[in-house]
Amino acid sequence: MPIKVPKDREVPFGAITPAPVGQQELFITSNWRIVRPVIDHEKCTRCFTCYASCPDSCWSFNEKEEKMEWNWKFCKGCQICIYECPADALSAAPELDFEDGVVRLEKPF
Amino acid sequence: MAQERMLSGCAAAAQGAKLAEVEVICSYPIRPYTAIMMELARMVANGELDAEFIHGEGEHAQVSVVLGASAAGARAYTGSSGVGVTYAFEVYSPAAGGRYPLQMAIADRTLDPPGDFGSEHTDAMSARDQGWLMGWAATPQEVLDNTLINFRVGEDPAIMLPQFVCQDGYFLSHIPDKVIVPELSQVREFLPPYKAPHPLSTECPVSHGPQIRPDQGAPMDAQRAATFLEVPRVIERAVADYNRIFGRNYDPYLEKYKMEDAEVAYFIQGAHANTCKAAINRLRSKGLKAGMVRPRWVRPWPTQQIAEAFAKVKAVASVETSTSYGGAMRGGNLVHELRASLYDLERRPLVTSFMAGLGGDVILLEDFEYMAKILTQMVQEKKTRQHVYWIGFEE
Repeated sequence: MPIKVPKDREVPFGAITPAPVGQQELFITSNWRIVRPVIDHEKCTRCFTCYASCPDSCWSFNEKEEKMEWNWKFCKGCQICIYECPADALSAAPELDFEDGVVRLEKPF
Repeated sequence: MAQERMLSGCAAAAQGAKLAEVEVICSYPIRPYTAIMMELARMVANGELDAEFIHGEGEHAQVSVVLGASAAGARAYTGSSGVGVTYAFEVYSPAAGGRYPLQMAIADRTLDPPGDFGSEHTDAMSARDQGWLMGWAATPQEVLDNTLINFRVGEDPAIMLPQFVCQDGYFLSHIPDKVIVPELSQVREFLPPYKAPHPLSTECPVSHGPQIRPDQGAPMDAQRAATFLEVPRVIERAVADYNRIFGRNYDPYLEKYKMEDAEVAYFIQGAHANTCKAAINRLRSKGLKAGMVRPRWVRPWPTQQIAEAFAKVKAVASVETSTSYGGAMRGGNLVHELRASLYDLERRPLVTSFMAGLGGDVILLEDFEYMAKILTQMVQEKKTRQHVYWIGFEE
């Protein structure tokens, strides 16, 4: 009784992958997010509290545009950044409000 | 030249690890297995063995340390007993899922409460579903041999799985017996150096143990199950090579004793099998055609071979040396898989089980004779009266 795993569903041996530079594209893990943080760039003071408080390193600073950037691929919607933001620049928006909301995905990625 | 020496099971395991030229060892004391680490520490201190010897701060750390060592490409070795085995539990599934062919020696000890030193297989048996290879030895010689065979099977590029190499505490771990200690050159012929396929390295950086998504879990499970289907082929080749190089005579899966014409038979794991064989000799001198089958592996479970071994037997006693309270047969663990293995036979033997060898109890010749009496009764009545008998506690 052979076990057949289709090629497109195969997981790398031992889930070992080439070391990611920046982020792990092979294992995107944000599909259980219900809400996402939305930033008001006018209110944002670039204090980096969101950057420091995110358990998944989903906030980074875009130096060219001089604004904070959110990583949708790994944000689980925990809202810590929203609670921590001293400038009140972040708010929670339901995933359903977005065309690309992860709750709308038929396949995980 | 191979040397014959008197070695306990623990000393034999240490000799096996030394001959396997393990590169990283992680210890934490708990009896009875700890004698293995005492031997290895001595060997490292004397310069007999060139290995990194690390003191873990607990069993969870022990298995974590050897997991890391294995991920970096080292042949790694650890071990434990009783509650030490259960304390490390969390690390067992990532060790198997991450495909690290490290080896853990287990010398069985009864689990708490409230602290019983005696041998009982429940400690290791609790970990049988963690995706490791697992099996019991019955003699110090087999402990040494299994140490080498397990590294060879576990490190096979098609397999890459960690191994529990188990032995009964005290009965085996602390009673010396004659052991042929092979030459290192023979071992090197049998066991090539370990080569990790994707070692942690600064030259070719890789990521081990990332988070995977729920939809990746099922295919990964299926891939691991498929790997286990490959294991028998690798075991058969490894045991054949072992027998050839070291002059042994192992069956890859089962030790069968006087099964050719057996009408009733014991199914028993570990060192109590030695007493069982003596009991069979006594029973046969009284005219009862008794036999014994001892599995050398629990994972993978030799389903087919067990069915074939018992195909002509009328009644089988599963001698349980571990507990599964509330389980299907209300006794031990082995009987469940034994009965499942026999289910597809055209003429199934009657099966019952005996709770014996628990908490460090010796299984006496008289106990085996009591089991034989029940088996004979079952054959006469053509039925199984009870699924389990608790030796010493039946009315």
